[in-house]
Amino acid sequence: MGLYSSFIGRKFKHIAEKKYEDIIKHYKEFLLTEEERKVPEIRSILMPLDRYVKDVPMELYETISAYEAGVLLVYILDSQVFELVRQTLSLEASEEFRRREEVMGEELLNNLAKKLESCGLRVQRRIFFGNKSDDVIKLAENYNMLAISKNYGAEITKTSPLSPLVLKILQHLEIPVIIY
Amino acid sequence: MSPVEIFALAVFIFTYALIISERIHRTVAAMVGASLVLLTNVVPWEKVPIYLDLDTILLLAGMMIIVNTTRLSGLFEYIAIKTAKLAKGEPIRVLILFSVVTGLVSAFLDNVTTVLLLTPMLIYISRLMEVNPLPFLLSEIFASNMGGTATLIGDPPNIMIGSAVGLSFNDFLFNMGPIALLDLIFMVLIVYFAYRETLKVSPEKKERILRTLGNLDERAAIRDLALFRKSVVTIVIVVLFFFVHDRLGIEPAVVALFGASLILFWSRENPEGILEKVEWTTLFFFGGLFLIVGSLVETGFIGQIAQWITSHVHTEGEAMLVIAWFSALASAVIDNIPFTATMIPIIKAMEASLNTYPLWWALSLGACLGGNGTAIGASANVVVIGIAAREDIRITFMDFLKMGILVMVLTVGVGVGILWLRYVWWWR
Repeated sequence: MGLYSSFIGRKFKHIAEKKYEDIIKHYKEFLLTEEERKVPEIRSILMPLDRYVKDVPMELYETISAYEAGVLLVYILDSQVFELVRQTLSLEASEEFRRREEVMGEELLNNLAKKLESCGLRVQRRIFFGNKSDDVIKLAENYNMLAISKNYGAEITKTSPLSPLVLKILQHLEIPVIIY
Repeated sequence: MSPVEIFALAVFIFTYALIISERIHRTVAAMVGASLVLLTNVVPWEKVPIYLDLDTILLLAGMMIIVNTTRLSGLFEYIAIKTAKLAKGEPIRVLILFSVVTGLVSAFLDNVTTVLLLTPMLIYISRLMEVNPLPFLLSEIFASNMGGTATLIGDPPNIMIGSAVGLSFNDFLFNMGPIALLDLIFMVLIVYFAYRETLKVSPEKKERILRTLGNLDERAAIRDLALFRKSVVTIVIVVLFFFVHDRLGIEPAVVALFGASLILFWSRENPEGILEKVEWTTLFFFGGLFLIVGSLVETGFIGQIAQWITSHVHTEGEAMLVIAWFSALASAVIDNIPFTATMIPIIKAMEASLNTYPLWWALSLGACLGGNGTAIGASANVVVIGIAAREDIRITFMDFLKMGILVMVLTVGVGVGILWLRYVWWWR
């Protein structure tokens, strides 16, 4: 630190440091931080779904309809579970599992798509086998926002109010996320 | 020189060197110096009340109580947000409005508190506009020092001069007010022309700024609405009293103490908490300085200096020029409080051979506006630069000096010109 800076630092400390800390603490109560000031531009929203996602609250439709964005609804079937069923039971059982899951997925996708479209949003649908966390992280790279259920990937309990899969996804993302 | 004179001068120089170096707190330096001249009986104990300028100390204490109580209400943050919103995200409006508000607030409150309260908002809004904060911060510093020049209570040198000579609030307002106003206009023009290229925002950006400013609620800054209203009323009463104190025969210190008691009584705030926030270090600093300078008066050293000056300066006009420019240059490098404390007895000692009335205005002008010359010239400068450094905004010594010297020379020049016209040309 140069002579000038250390002189200013010393003098500032003598004159006003304590007072300044009080004042800045008060300002922080009502001034937005730099991060909070940036209004993110949302043009595309990724919304992953699976068998654990049952309800989508009305507030979510209202919130995301505020953005002029396209929504990708993606239903992911766990390929590892499918493989496990095939290996432990039979090929037929695994095919039956796939058929039921696909029906459930299509039904959920259609329901949500209708509601979102009625809010004026452009909606795309996809259903595929894959890894529920890794595929979402990869897909999210091309989207501005993620809307994800607390239940995604696992049932939640009182002691664990957020699915561990959601936690893992959140740790890898930098885009804004809505958790419902 | 007698040994006592040499000792008093040595204590004076030693104390000033400690104050300038900032190696130890300036209050401690002043207290050490004062205790040395008291211990050695250079200033006899019975003369302490004469040298200790209680008018200045009590006026400062009273104003500190008013300001510290008012601060709890959030009034100053309210003013800062309101000013930011009025500027509507237009850099030139931010420059003008914040300079005017800083000047106005500084005219009635101490400069350090003013810049402490306004700088965070100014940095916030310049970041919001994504423009160079330097012109805004520099103009805030200059405006604060100029606003302080305008009134009796705006800057410590004025309080000291007013108390020593018995000048009223209106005397200061009529003599220094027009100079401060004209200087403020010149200063804004200088800063604008020096930084005009950086004072631009695109229409898209402006829309975003307005949206963010729209979300700011000045009412959110008010911590206590009842105290807010009481503070405004008290400040208005105090200012009104300052306007008429000379006609009522009341000392300015009494007005400040009345305001302090009124706000404490009316607000029912805990006096212990408020009195804890009074800057006792500043009050003891003043006390110490008065005694150290008193030792030079007591030994006759100040009288000799005054005699030497009057033997070289023959007219009020010459004395005015010398005092204004010498004070400005000295205040640009050393604290204007010890400087003014030393100059007051010197000018007083010149009363025998010169009409000193215009010289007090020259001293006020130089001591208050000289602080604009360098980054270390006034406390307000250091506080703004210190806050900026904490916010990662670097204001180098040269950044400041380039604008500071220009502003100082021009504003002191304008002031000297007005004083010359009024007291030399007009009286001729």
